[in-house]
Amino acid sequence: MSQMLPIGKSAVMTASVPAKPKVEVKNLEFFYGQSRALKNISLALPARSVTAFIGPSGCGKSTLLRVFNRIYELYPNQRAQGEVLVDGRNILDRGQDLNLLRAQVGMVFQKPTPFPMTIYENIAFGIRLYEKLSKSEMDGRVEQALQRAALWSEVKDKLNASGLSLSGGQQQRLCIARTVAVKPEIILFDEPASALDPLSTAKIEELIDELRSEYTIAIVTHNMQQAARVSSQTAFMYLGELIEFDLTETIFTAPREKRTQDYITGRFG
Amino acid sequence: MSSVSAAMPRSAAATARDATVRRFALSDAVFRAATRIAALLVLLILGGVAISLVAGAWPALSKFGAAFLVSQSWNPVTENFGALAPIYGTIVTAAISILIAVPIGIGIAIFLTELCPRPLRRPIGIAVELLAGIPSIIYGIWGLFIFAPFLQTTVQPFLINLFHGVPGLSGLFAGPPYGIGLLTSALILAIMVLPFITSITKDVFDTVPSVLKESAYGIGCTTWEVTRRVVIPYTRVGIMGGVMLGLGRALGETMAVTFVIGNAHRISASLFAPATTISATIANEFTEADGEIYTSSLIALGFLLFVITFLILALARTMLLRIEKRTGA
Repeated sequence: MSQMLPIGKSAVMTASVPAKPKVEVKNLEFFYGQSRALKNISLALPARSVTAFIGPSGCGKSTLLRVFNRIYELYPNQRAQGEVLVDGRNILDRGQDLNLLRAQVGMVFQKPTPFPMTIYENIAFGIRLYEKLSKSEMDGRVEQALQRAALWSEVKDKLNASGLSLSGGQQQRLCIARTVAVKPEIILFDEPASALDPLSTAKIEELIDELRSEYTIAIVTHNMQQAARVSSQTAFMYLGELIEFDLTETIFTAPREKRTQDYITGRFG
Repeated sequence: MSSVSAAMPRSAAATARDATVRRFALSDAVFRAATRIAALLVLLILGGVAISLVAGAWPALSKFGAAFLVSQSWNPVTENFGALAPIYGTIVTAAISILIAVPIGIGIAIFLTELCPRPLRRPIGIAVELLAGIPSIIYGIWGLFIFAPFLQTTVQPFLINLFHGVPGLSGLFAGPPYGIGLLTSALILAIMVLPFITSITKDVFDTVPSVLKESAYGIGCTTWEVTRRVVIPYTRVGIMGGVMLGLGRALGETMAVTFVIGNAHRISASLFAPATTISATIANEFTEADGEIYTSSLIALGFLLFVITFLILALARTMLLRIEKRTGA
């Protein structure tokens, strides 16, 4: 186990939780062209637990999330430096297979993005990329994924309707089902409820709460209460820097940094 | 309260506002009428063209009846005309050109939007659009003096040898290599419609929200899978529009085809054989058409082209509707 947390001046900021880290970020820098969006970020996400990222717009929290599955690579002029270890392996390595990485690290976006196909196909499509299943196995997997996303009872009679015909909240749960169906190890949520009404938001939060027992979850949110409700540890970021990272309880009740306190109490942002 | 305000003299501001409201109402009505007239004008022109075509074609249509559609004969001396050969040539050349141009056009569009290094995007895009700007007469002379001899000496002998003895295909690629003929026309048409299909496809590909593509990449798709399963289905209607525009051009293109098709009023199984299309026939023969039936037959051909274009557009629409119903979009 050479991946033990280092102690001392280069210590990785880590919430004081016993769980073994699933993701370790070390000295991460991120650039949009010349502008530096992440500055020397180091932190560790424990396995099977929810980590929230909060901070004012433009602080780099979404950027950080987009490093975890290297989706930023779709765009020229965006690059990351440093190390992001998933199970001890640096995913920023040149040799990392991006499709495989993205199958392992699922992502749910701010706006629901159902694919232009039926509800069934929206789920089956991702599974089919990496697994050859018989029709009945596939049916099972689709049902399981929809159950997991608490959507099954609402769509089981119209699996052949277009994914686009669902309401916004249902579409977002479809996207979660689609992400879960591929059996990732890590799920990234980028403000998953910011486009939804309170009821749908509550459903999504419930869902995240259920998923935490199986997946390592990172969620970016602008909603302080949401961070407090769903996460076990919270990272506060500001202007591309990680200001404070600790247990959610500590962050929201006794933050060490004044900036953190100012932000969560709404004094700036 | 209200009685008080009613009794008071209306303020100057309120009067001015009323005047503005009246002026707006008037200009709105004028604007609405103007746009309506513009829209109606299109229908009027369309109807006018159709009526004058039918009127002009009437002598031929009434003389030959349905036989005009199924007869291959085209004899100005005996004044016996049938439209089957030009119809066949028109449809076959247009169909082959679309078969060639659609995959290439979509391929270029995919390359430009998804894969192309940024510095190359604009030059290639502009080059494709320049292709659309080349006048068809240039394609015609290029086709006749450069492309056709090349096909005659190189490609056609190769294809004849390649498919010799292959059942079905040997008939398609048979006969003496003239250089000019159905296939040559179709290839030139393919080059001509390629820019339309490419630039429209590229434009609609650009409308796909990046977050939708990201979420497809996000579950581990390759560029091919994202394109095939997300980008193309999302932009189906737009792509179809581009294909239809290309098909419309291929069906009606006159000059370039007239140069290289060979102008032979007969239907041969071989794609190398000279043939004719509706527009090429009209362009070639209008000046020498003497006699009412001859002229009228040419106009009847024009009317048929009109009908064919209309039918194909209608077919494409219903096909699109059916696909949409099936996928539930």
